[in-house]
Amino acid sequence: MAMVWARLAFIVGILSLFHAGYSAAQHRAYLRVTEQEYTALPTDISVQGLLSLLLAMYGILHIAGDFKEIRANVQLQNKSWETVGNRPTFYTFAHRGRALSPNYVMPPSSSPQDMVETLPS
Amino acid sequence: MATLDLDWEEVRDQLRAWREDNTRHSEEVVDTWEHCLKHYKTKLGDERWMVEEQVFVAGLDCNRLDIADPCLMALNEQFPGSLRVRKLRAMRFEALEKFDEAMEVYDNIIRQDETNSTARKRKVAVLRGQGRITDAIKELTEYLKLFMSDSEAWQELCDLYLKEGDYSKAAFCMEELILSNPHNHLFHTRYAEIKYTQGGLDNMEIARSYFCQAAKLNPGNVRALYGLFMSCTQVLSSPKLSAQKKKETQQLATWALKEVSERYSRCRTNTMDGSKILETLGALSITDKA
Repeated sequence: MAMVWARLAFIVGILSLFHAGYSAAQHRAYLRVTEQEYTALPTDISVQGLLSLLLAMYGILHIAGDFKEIRANVQLQNKSWETVGNRPTFYTFAHRGRALSPNYVMPPSSSPQDMVETLPS
Repeated sequence: MATLDLDWEEVRDQLRAWREDNTRHSEEVVDTWEHCLKHYKTKLGDERWMVEEQVFVAGLDCNRLDIADPCLMALNEQFPGSLRVRKLRAMRFEALEKFDEAMEVYDNIIRQDETNSTARKRKVAVLRGQGRITDAIKELTEYLKLFMSDSEAWQELCDLYLKEGDYSKAAFCMEELILSNPHNHLFHTRYAEIKYTQGGLDNMEIARSYFCQAAKLNPGNVRALYGLFMSCTQVLSSPKLSAQKKKETQQLATWALKEVSERYSRCRTNTMDGSKILETLGALSITDKA
């Protein structure tokens, strides 16, 4: 739900910012036509520009997702050697976990002694 | 078993997390695929092919060819002539212990694409699967001459050297890994453990400082704290130690022990007594100085 509000705030903010810019351009055009000297933007336009910028910033900060920790080692804090030491490209499949599979067939061998010797270390 | 009561989107996110974290979880991958995600594979979009590959490897890992084969077939249909799929087919040969055929496929892939690093790495895995550790080391060092920044390969080489009991070379590999990722406390711990295993006063002191660094990077690393305690006691047992150094080491050892016992007392249950832990820790120490 918060996400919807953030999105709405962002869209409204951007549109309003665009509107403020357009108003400023209109104001300059009006001054040129009426041949007045340009001094400063009317307060309502600058206030609108500032407020809509803040609104858009608020919206984008919530849309972009959670912040990441700036310290480099924080992500590793909760990792164990089990995950860091795991190397997917070097998986070998000739391991004893095979025997747990439902369709495992015992290799033919004369005695358990032989099996131990042929097992890869 | 009937379809488990799982939300397929949750399962997909879980599999994605496992894929990105490089965790193994083969059994869980196979189970969730079999009981849930299999029925939603058309909904996965382009991610489907990544999932199929993941499930295929997990299936081989669990020796569930009945799961793996349909995935391979689907991938083959989608990407005919792809080298990546050919690699998967060779992995299937490996799982069936047809190592020569697998080797031939990998050689073919390398001939076709010299920059293909995964096929070269798989060749090492084939040798390792056959138990030919020295050949695997030779192959892997050749590989590392070409792809020096591959930290996964350095880890593998370290592991292979450890299997051979060649600690100084294993330590060198770990040094490379620390260089490439100095913030990883686990590499520091591992390096310290290798140095500790090597023994001797110099190595003990190196181990001690690396355990210190690991504990500094992650104060929650109990293994490093305990290693610190152990290496300190080892250093203390050496006769040629100046009084100043002796005092410092003694302090360090007490500090490490205190940290460990504090962590234990924080998660202590009724059956466990904090003071007992201290006694047990002392008893575990290799050096008998009592």
